[in-house]
Amino acid sequence: MRICLVCQNIDCKSRGSEQLMREFQKRVAARGLTDVEVKPYMCFGACQEGPNIVLYPEKNWYAKVKVEDLDEITDHLAGGPHVQRLDTIDSSLKELIYQLLDTGIL
Amino acid sequence: MEGILFPHGVPEGREGLREYRARGGYEALARFITSSPEKIIQQITDAGLRGRGGAGFPTGKKWFFTRDAPDQPRYLVMNGGEDEPGSKKDRVLMENLPHLVIEGVILGAYAIGAVKAYLYINANYQAATKSITDALAEAKSAGYWGLNILGSGFDLDIELVAAPHNYVAGEDTAALEVIEGRTPLPRQKPPFPVTVGLFGKPTSVNNVETLANVAPILLRGPDGYRKFGTPDSPGTMIFSLNDDVNYPGVYELPFGTPLRHLIESCGGGMKDGKKIKAIMPAAPSSAYLSPDKLDTPLEPNAMREAGSSLGCGVVRLVGERTCIVEEVLRIAEFFTVESCGQCPACRMETNTLSMLIKKVQQGQGGRPILEQFGKVLAFNKGKGFCNLIAMPGPPIESALNLFPDDFAAHLATGKCPAN
Repeated sequence: MRICLVCQNIDCKSRGSEQLMREFQKRVAARGLTDVEVKPYMCFGACQEGPNIVLYPEKNWYAKVKVEDLDEITDHLAGGPHVQRLDTIDSSLKELIYQLLDTGIL
Repeated sequence: MEGILFPHGVPEGREGLREYRARGGYEALARFITSSPEKIIQQITDAGLRGRGGAGFPTGKKWFFTRDAPDQPRYLVMNGGEDEPGSKKDRVLMENLPHLVIEGVILGAYAIGAVKAYLYINANYQAATKSITDALAEAKSAGYWGLNILGSGFDLDIELVAAPHNYVAGEDTAALEVIEGRTPLPRQKPPFPVTVGLFGKPTSVNNVETLANVAPILLRGPDGYRKFGTPDSPGTMIFSLNDDVNYPGVYELPFGTPLRHLIESCGGGMKDGKKIKAIMPAAPSSAYLSPDKLDTPLEPNAMREAGSSLGCGVVRLVGERTCIVEEVLRIAEFFTVESCGQCPACRMETNTLSMLIKKVQQGQGGRPILEQFGKVLAFNKGKGFCNLIAMPGPPIESALNLFPDDFAAHLATGKCPAN
């Protein structure tokens, strides 16, 4: 199973991450991506860049995601191109979070 | 043992104005209110008084910086938030020795040239609040605060402010936020309160116990004060023991007293005759010490050398047959709940640490999960507005170092090896 984590801490919620997650779930379902699960994550520590979406095990991190960006991200999940303009997170934070996910904490 | 704050042991009842005066109360005020404020600061500096709220910053230096700040007016804040779990020293001081505390407040305010002092007291401390309120009325009637204190020409107003009962509300700048009418969220530092504090003005925030030391220092003189404690850490400190010992309570001991004396002679040893598995000298945020460190002196430098810290003196014991994984899970979850949430790094760190320990406790994830603790803590080091982000690290990392078998057993079986 591939996982898309959408941060749901209070800061990102105030930036619309709850609605973003619901919309994302609908679009993934509409595209028939049955191997993808969209689920909440407590906090990636990048609230100032939120809402954030992390694709795992692909290890792609999209920041400051808006509902308008979701079609492109869904395209990426379906084999389309990486959405470069949303890939803005510092590499050291990415590495830390990816290592955490690699330990199987989900 | 003779103490400085408790000369005849921990007082059982409230000391009123008459009793306080009968043993030299307000003599320091009468003697020093006509001397220069700089002289008080010098005496406090020479005595080597350090803050008793946990950080141990030199009080004389804090007062000097506040007085030296060019902006006016200046304020003094007595921090009686006391939200450290298990700490009760400030409550005892405010309840039983309110005039000792208030005399320290007035002298501190005079030393820094404050126009007003705010007494920030834990809202759950009803008896302490009443005791201080009553003592303020008595002291005002006697001319110890208000206009033209003892004919000196110095005016001081004093106001009580209720401190919300949550952990960060005891942080200095969170206290300033509350006094200004906002929610207790720590401020980014610098600037420090000594230059930009309450209402943007120079402010000295001092712990209750710190202020209680002021009048005794001025009466005894720095040399008299330095007869207690060690050259690096003069004086005494009040330690709090809780239900894990036979005789819980507060104990005033000179700095440098062996930890063993506090636990065995004062506390009567662990309850139910249990053996000590670990000691946390400054719960909940210090590193654990193994029982072979029982003779470590209760003194900040010695504690640091032993691998831990002294904080505000809440000493917690972990008994044999207690699982350290469960212990640190409780601590990590405490900091997750108590993080105010305004700093992303703190939010991520506290949540992640709790999640990781929960996984270990449940036996999920392999040994690589143990390597993540250090990485998460290192990544977030130095971040955040306040020190809460640094607090879960020492207990977790020391537990991993001292009790690797407890963690390994949980990872292997998902069960507690102690039960």
